[in-house]
Amino acid sequence: MNAILRLSLPLTLWLAAFSAIYGLHGLLCSSRWAAVAPELPGRVLLVGATIAALALQALLLAFLRSPRWPQPDAAIRRVSMVLAVAALVGTAWTLIPALAMSHCL
Amino acid sequence: MNALRRHRALSRIWASDPGLKGWFTTVNHTDLGRMFLFVATVFFVIGGILAMLIRAQLASPRSAFLGPDHYNQIFTMHGTIMMFLFAIPFFEGLAVYLLPKMLGTRDLAFPRLTAYGFWCYVFGGSMMIFALLAGIAPDSGWFMYPPLSSTIGAPGINSDFWLIGITFVEISAISAAVEITVTVLRYRAPGMKLSQMPIFAWYALVTAVMILTGFPPLILGSILLELERAFGLPFFQVAQGGDALLWQHLFWLFGHPEVYIIFLPAAGAISTILPVMARTTLMGYGWIVAAAVSLGVLSFGLWVHHMFTTGIPHMGLAFFSAASTLVAVPTAVQIFAWIGTLWKGRPSLHLPMLWLLAFFATFVIGGLTGVMVAIVPFDWQAHDTYFIVAHLHYVLVGGFVFPMIAALYYWMPHFTGRRTYFKLGNVAFWLVVPGFHGTFLALHWAGLLGMRRRIDTYESGQGWEVINIIASISGFVMAIGFALVLIDVVVNAVVAVRGSRDPWGAGTLDWAMPTPAAPYNFASLAQVTSRDPLYEDPELPVRLARGEGYLGDPGRGRRETLTVEIGTGAPRYIVVFPGNTALPVLMSAITGLFFLGMLIKAYWLVPISALGVTLCALLWVWGLGRPAPEEALPVGRGLSLHTAAEAADPPGWWGSVFLLLANGTFFGSLLFGYAFLFSIAPNWPPPAYLEPGALPVVLVLAGAGLTFLGSRIGTVVGQGMAPVGLALIAGAALPVLSESPDPTLHAYDATVWVFVGYGLLHCLVGMLMWSVVMLRRLSGHSADTTLGAMRIARLWSDYTLLVALLTAAAIGLPGVLT
Amino acid sequence: MHPAGPAAQVISQLWWVLLAGAAAIFLFVAALIALAWRRPPGETEERRFVVWLGLAFPMTVLAALLAYGLVVGERLLPRATPDLVRVQAEARQWDWRFGYDDAPGRVTENLLHIPAGRPVDVAITSVDVVHGFWVPRLAGKLDAVPGHVNLLRIEADSPGRYEGLGSEFNGAGYRDHRFTVIAHDAEGWRAFLRGETP
Repeated sequence: MNAILRLSLPLTLWLAAFSAIYGLHGLLCSSRWAAVAPELPGRVLLVGATIAALALQALLLAFLRSPRWPQPDAAIRRVSMVLAVAALVGTAWTLIPALAMSHCL
Repeated sequence: MNALRRHRALSRIWASDPGLKGWFTTVNHTDLGRMFLFVATVFFVIGGILAMLIRAQLASPRSAFLGPDHYNQIFTMHGTIMMFLFAIPFFEGLAVYLLPKMLGTRDLAFPRLTAYGFWCYVFGGSMMIFALLAGIAPDSGWFMYPPLSSTIGAPGINSDFWLIGITFVEISAISAAVEITVTVLRYRAPGMKLSQMPIFAWYALVTAVMILTGFPPLILGSILLELERAFGLPFFQVAQGGDALLWQHLFWLFGHPEVYIIFLPAAGAISTILPVMARTTLMGYGWIVAAAVSLGVLSFGLWVHHMFTTGIPHMGLAFFSAASTLVAVPTAVQIFAWIGTLWKGRPSLHLPMLWLLAFFATFVIGGLTGVMVAIVPFDWQAHDTYFIVAHLHYVLVGGFVFPMIAALYYWMPHFTGRRTYFKLGNVAFWLVVPGFHGTFLALHWAGLLGMRRRIDTYESGQGWEVINIIASISGFVMAIGFALVLIDVVVNAVVAVRGSRDPWGAGTLDWAMPTPAAPYNFASLAQVTSRDPLYEDPELPVRLARGEGYLGDPGRGRRETLTVEIGTGAPRYIVVFPGNTALPVLMSAITGLFFLGMLIKAYWLVPISALGVTLCALLWVWGLGRPAPEEALPVGRGLSLHTAAEAADPPGWWGSVFLLLANGTFFGSLLFGYAFLFSIAPNWPPPAYLEPGALPVVLVLAGAGLTFLGSRIGTVVGQGMAPVGLALIAGAALPVLSESPDPTLHAYDATVWVFVGYGLLHCLVGMLMWSVVMLRRLSGHSADTTLGAMRIARLWSDYTLLVALLTAAAIGLPGVLT
Repeated sequence: MHPAGPAAQVISQLWWVLLAGAAAIFLFVAALIALAWRRPPGETEERRFVVWLGLAFPMTVLAALLAYGLVVGERLLPRATPDLVRVQAEARQWDWRFGYDDAPGRVTENLLHIPAGRPVDVAITSVDVVHGFWVPRLAGKLDAVPGHVNLLRIEADSPGRYEGLGSEFNGAGYRDHRFTVIAHDAEGWRAFLRGETP
């Protein structure tokens, strides 16, 4: 189970962050939000969330490398590192360009 | 004991019932795998005939061959059959047949579940075909957008066939997925580390987990839409707080992973076959595993790219456009690793390799057009035109059908034990592949000229006539080619001469047995130390047949295999499989009555068949109990192990974990749907939020506490406390529902009812589980042999508690906060 | 593929870029595969295939493409500009009704009047099922979703008649769910607003 966790965690974290930030964006652009808190700067929230997501991915990568989470099978260890790097790059790739776009048009 | 006597003894134990009866009582994966493949092929033929009707209709402008009412049914059913009744089941069949053999074990984790899933597929598929023949098939397109597919646009029974029939068929996908996951993780040859698995097993694992997390949103959507159609719960009716876009989100949350659920098994077959055809080993095994896992997860972040034209803000689209381009990267890693493998070896041009070349030519084009439609502005122009139709056929036929034909020819010597002799296959190849490109290449252009998909005829003079007539003629050529492939397979299976054991010189364990496979697969189980055991030890098959591996002694007279540690592959315990039984086919027939009752609105049938299914399930589970523990039993090679009956994590526990993963995704989708309606649907908030007061809260909390404690005490008393706690939680439903007596008023009320119904169902199942555990203890089963069952019940009731608490918060909070 | 407006024009241009790129990549991959039969077998560097061809190559191409696509997408958005005309499109099974901000109360069926050479925002909605609004020669499509109003920017370069289509499958009458866009010159548009055009 340890091996499966190592392999599935990085990109699952990407998926969670990606969906959450997309959801946040949907919420920020919804009429409901405009009624509750129209003055909150949506883009700042989104950028903040993206930075948090990137930090989490980096943290996970560091954790997977550290001896505190050992993995006897070298091949599995290497694959999980590749996936963690992929998740970090993926987070940047999928979130950063979008933030330059028009917000709610 | 010599090899022949061992073969006879094992065959006596493992063989299916003889004659006709054997078809219905078999639980053997080799039989069921073949049956799956056969039935899926039948559906492929039916879907193909529908495609030919479509091409006949579109061959010329203003065709009067079919009217829109028939045409709409035909294209809807073509898509539905190919996706749900051909592609997924075909993968299931291949995996069911191959996985235990490749992993070096004797059967899948839950043999009876394989059979149950198979029969659900057959019965559900038959429902759909009945609708087609009766002319009352679904006609709203294969993605069934409401309100068109709801009572407004489709008042007849047509849509119900889709919603109910497909949900029924999906039982087979979910059960196969649970089965595959547990098998790959726990049922391998001793010593086979996770990183030494055949690459196909990795793909099957990823695909299975994707089915577990990808299908539940669709199942939820189907249930909600059917509730709307049958009882007026307005989830997709905008006037009463629903939203048509909710369906699109739920459908594509399933629909995009679905594409990769179809592609990944094919990629697994390619990664297996290609190195053998190039007489070398796979380049970049680790990279390919990483790519498969990446594709599996990334594909869940793409669903909105099917909704670029629904008016979602550009930033929202940009997220998904970026993700859609990103997903091309792991695909490229695989493609180039395969090309590298070809460079590394001495590639041949046998028939399977030819089909793989057809895969490259087709799939690369499909992938490139896929990148095109990932670019938002281009998609705005191409969406719902023949460009998309052409693109998806390039991806699905190139990425699934061609590799599967390669797989068919590659494993045919295994299926039949015969040499492929006739050369009809080459002729078929040269009909299908040019025929395919002739059909679909030019259709891209028709799409760009403005030809919309799903129109039943068109006017002349728009520049589409030549393209369409070429497409139709090529389509018929392709169909003739496919027919030849089938004829070729049948002829070879019947008359070709016996062949050698490993005709391609492959290294995986599926070729370490005599073919056609014996019902027990391996006379004894290999000790594995590398990725290609046959390359390392060419004598392995002989030694296995001589009984030099594990469990080579049939003396205990029952179907036994070994489970292993997930990571290391160290042997853990013996599993004793059930024998032949008609219970699965019976249970799936009763399940079919349940769905039939829903379909024809004979609601009296529903509770009766639900009761019948419950009784079957109890019968099923009861048989697994063992009154007293056995001591550690010798399994050969000097090792002794206990049986699963005494394990704290029996296969059933693992199966439950993954079933709950699917179940949790279902509940998560429900929460998502609720949040979506809450924040996006136009007619919210509802007239009033629920304020049920303190009573339900107290009931839920008290029940949760009682269940939590009881499930951890471990005595009969505790096992009595747990169901009582669950009953208390169930009791909270009454005051809640009395506050919201009419679920048809607003989508909010409807959602509350679904939440409560879901919770009630889980309380009920939990109570049943605890009753079984308690009854076992009371009837004298020892604590050791009920431990596993108890942990399964605890797993389920813990999940139920979580659901109850989340439901209480979801229902209660809006009322409290506003 | 015969663009007659700025939006359709840039999308058409995008298509030709995509097509050229895709064709080049396809030929490259095909050549690599063919070469496998032409060269002697032997040690092949894994890094070259997986890291360079599998990772670096597609990521470079895709990053450029993504940026291009997003920039084009941004340019097509219905932003506030001077001289903007706003119309409403309401879809039903199986026809279209159009209303005009500049001529309140005026409703035309299956016939949308716009001024040529000026940006037009179409506010699209539906009264029954999901439909799609698509004038292929002017811009991409946008869906009409019941309960939601979606904004699409279109513009015709020159006066003329353009075919419009319902482009989301919507049942038995889908094939003939069409409309016509009439782009007027400045004089014609004024005449329309005055109610002189039928």
